[in-house]
Amino acid sequence: MQHTVSSKTLVKASVSATIVAAIALVTLILPAEYNIDPTGVGQKLGLTEIALASETEAQPTAAGQKGTAEYQTIEVIVPAGRGVEYKFAMPQYAKMTYEWITDGEPLYFDLHGEPEGDTTGYFESYTIATNNEVKGSFTAPFAGSHGWYWKNKTDKPIAVQLIVKGEYDVIGLKK
Amino acid sequence: MQNNVIKISVLFVIALLGMISIEAYAHGVDDNTRAFLEQNQGVQFIPFLYIGAKHMITGYDHLLFLVGVIFFLYRSKDVLLYVTMFTIGHSTTLLLGVLGDIQVNAYLIDAIIGFSVIYKGFDNLGGFKRCFNWQPNTKVAVLIFGLFHGFGLATKLQEFHLPEDGLITNLIAFNIGVELGQFAALIFILIAINAWRHFPSFQRFSTLTNTALMSTGVMLVGLQLTGYFIN
Repeated sequence: MQHTVSSKTLVKASVSATIVAAIALVTLILPAEYNIDPTGVGQKLGLTEIALASETEAQPTAAGQKGTAEYQTIEVIVPAGRGVEYKFAMPQYAKMTYEWITDGEPLYFDLHGEPEGDTTGYFESYTIATNNEVKGSFTAPFAGSHGWYWKNKTDKPIAVQLIVKGEYDVIGLKK
Repeated sequence: MQNNVIKISVLFVIALLGMISIEAYAHGVDDNTRAFLEQNQGVQFIPFLYIGAKHMITGYDHLLFLVGVIFFLYRSKDVLLYVTMFTIGHSTTLLLGVLGDIQVNAYLIDAIIGFSVIYKGFDNLGGFKRCFNWQPNTKVAVLIFGLFHGFGLATKLQEFHLPEDGLITNLIAFNIGVELGQFAALIFILIAINAWRHFPSFQRFSTLTNTALMSTGVMLVGLQLTGYFIN
């Protein structure tokens, strides 16, 4: 059943496949996925918004800030029925004092750390519970990213006020 | 007999599509999966089975490759043979990749998977015979690309925090799920292609279809390579 097309058809097919793909990539796919928009078409069509939306979600304003002896307040929204992870980069034995409170409903949370450079997916949990207010402190047992995983089991978004101080660099929301 | 098989297959596909549409419109599905995997320890057979099947059915890159592979196969024996080669390929690297903790860059693997789609489209057009006067062994090609598809599946699974506890059982469940998902998707693709084969438009549009396949492959490669270079 399979037939071999003529050389002319083959060249035409290959060239047109590449051209169509290149046009789709440059005007639609790359703008929407990565906000790379050399032609400006993606922006006109509103596609770059998709990439921008996920970027702003991934990098809230606190990202990159260094922890000090003063408390800083970070607001994290946990969308309805979803989980988010908010992390801090900390060297070994660095200390963090924290307090967080939700705007009402309790959240399932897992305070944990992942060693720096680890690729196995290993992580160590310090506290796992469900609560709407927690105060405490911890010392990083190893260098890496430490922070909270919050899971909102309700059907409404829950805002968390996270108040922290200590030796850390804010990584922010993890995708 | 034949009719009954088709009838049952159609019903199965319809039931499955019903499930997909609910799943597709649900918000933050991947996030739920991640949360589930992070919160649950030990053997989770059915959930992993489901995640595997879902990944295959919603993983259009795997499906596009399969469309290319079975496009010109009309004998059940051939379909079975080629799909088995693909399955052997991707199961091997899925199990090896996760158990051996082989880290492969997900973007590069996905780019190769995209390339497999280009390859198959080009192959279906008789491109190798035309250009090089030589036809690479199609069964071996399916097996080799199957190996890459398996690494792709492995990287998806490695993105989650998979606890060691019950890993092998969960992995096997995931793999069985992948096969079930592939089987379900294949039934749908086969019914569509076989139905289409009876019409003259099949011959007329087979060149166009395989050109479109190549084009989608180029898009996948471009998307993944861009992702690789900017990350």
